[in-house]
Amino acid sequence: MSSVRISEGISKTILYLAVILSGIVFVFPFFWMILCSFKFNKDILSVPLRFFPPEWNWDSYIRVFTAYPDFNFPRYILNSFIVTILAVVLCLFFSATSGYGFAKYRFKGNNLLFTVVLATIMIPFQAIIVPLFIFIRQIGLANTYAGLIIPESLTAFGVFMMRQFFYSIPDDFIESARIDGANEYAIFVRIGLPTATTALLALTIFHAQWVWNLLIWPLIVISTPEKVVLAQGIALFKGGYNTPYPEQLAAGVIACLPLVILYLFLSKYFVQGITMTGLKG
Amino acid sequence: MRKVSYSVSRLQRHGYIFILPTLIFFTLFLIYPIISAFRLSMVEWNLLAPKVFVGFKNYVKMFGDQRLLNSYLRTLHFSAVSVVAINILAFVFALMLGSRLLRFKNFWQSLIFLPVVLSLVAVGAVWEFMYQGTGFIPIMLRKIIGVSPAWLTDTRVAPYAVIITYVWKAVGFYMVIYIAGLLDVPVSYYEAARIDGAGFWSQLFYITIPTIRNTITLALVSCIIFTFGQFAIQYVITQGGPSRSTEVLSLLIYRTAFQLSKFGYSAGISVLFFLTLLILSLIQLRLFKSGTIGS
Repeated sequence: MSSVRISEGISKTILYLAVILSGIVFVFPFFWMILCSFKFNKDILSVPLRFFPPEWNWDSYIRVFTAYPDFNFPRYILNSFIVTILAVVLCLFFSATSGYGFAKYRFKGNNLLFTVVLATIMIPFQAIIVPLFIFIRQIGLANTYAGLIIPESLTAFGVFMMRQFFYSIPDDFIESARIDGANEYAIFVRIGLPTATTALLALTIFHAQWVWNLLIWPLIVISTPEKVVLAQGIALFKGGYNTPYPEQLAAGVIACLPLVILYLFLSKYFVQGITMTGLKG
Repeated sequence: MRKVSYSVSRLQRHGYIFILPTLIFFTLFLIYPIISAFRLSMVEWNLLAPKVFVGFKNYVKMFGDQRLLNSYLRTLHFSAVSVVAINILAFVFALMLGSRLLRFKNFWQSLIFLPVVLSLVAVGAVWEFMYQGTGFIPIMLRKIIGVSPAWLTDTRVAPYAVIITYVWKAVGFYMVIYIAGLLDVPVSYYEAARIDGAGFWSQLFYITIPTIRNTITLALVSCIIFTFGQFAIQYVITQGGPSRSTEVLSLLIYRTAFQLSKFGYSAGISVLFFLTLLILSLIQLRLFKSGTIGS
């Protein structure tokens, strides 16, 4: 008995060591980014390596906004918020409505159409950027938010997730509402949507991080400085000549904060959402 | 009786209204573009001059294109190493975090998940500094093992610098998928196995892995698709360099179209990219014979 306890003690120690070490490795780059954003340019790559800033530089966060007239970061942040919020709302709309339609109605062609939608998972965004851009340009949406947002709001993953979720909801609720005389759309809004809150929040965090961080599509679609989004703005800022490191890092920290905060609030829904929707297959 | 069944089938038709917006938008913005990629790959076009139909000329050209060949092999290498590393690590983390010996699971889980929500463009900057000659990683390596490669300037090492950054960024997401999958393995299976005297490894190979087979398939397929199209790290950290050693296909597609204005040729590369991925995914699904996705 005691040997079992000892071996369990050893396993536990190894487990904790591994978990703590992994935790440090995974958080470190972000932590290092914050620390370095408070250093002066000369201290960032200085030898010997100084862990904490020898002198604290508080100005980089202010200079990002004031010292570079070619880069309008407040505007980029606002643009990113607009684009992300609209793309996520649209994504939730498409995923919830079609997920509900596929799960709760037995119409002709249901399986076939669902398979078609699901198969678009196999179309990676990067494989269609050229024809998609040409199409967007033809219909007059180049350099507009609509052209940016609409393709960024489509995800078969979301449709799949919501369909799996609505499958797990018993039909009885819907049937009894029907008997009470409610119409189909009212049932969806009053009964379907509220039960799906957790799944929708999980989809929100997943999709928001994708849209907020997506670089390739804004680089292609957006060509005027007022419409640049944050990820694109930072890439351009970083590519600019003589951009000091602390300012680059400060801009990066600012870009990360909204999603870190969103994640802190929604993290518990994320695993729950994935678990309950049977996303695991 | 006939009347009832009539009204029931009418009721079911409301389903069409629910799926209509999705069908329209998916068709216009996903399915139409992939079909038109095949069409575009048959033309020469710089967006300004009229399109010139050239048949399979772009494809013939692709066979002799060293830059494309390099890019294709780099993408396969990047994807293969990343997908294997990500899935093994994600699975190990999921097992570790699922252990009954561990407390504060949510805390540890969110530490490993954190990079998933960080902006790649933003953290790309810090990774670039960390890889530089006097950056954090070479200094630490020299302190611990005495040597460090030139991460961003050596063509043999730079691909791994990109892979490490990508694995760090992506592992948390797949870890969560595996955690969700592991929750589904009935505890009674393990209890029965323990009574039979099965150790950790036999429980892993005879119970855990077979039970979560669908999870593994889903994680692998989605990981391959996402990894193949990875663009931001290479764009931000290495710009495809040094000597095009990290110029993956998505970067090449982007550059061929939007910097060299060869839209037809770029569409041809997109088709190659799409077909490769399609074949890989189908092999995956066949290998695991997963019948549950979509049923």
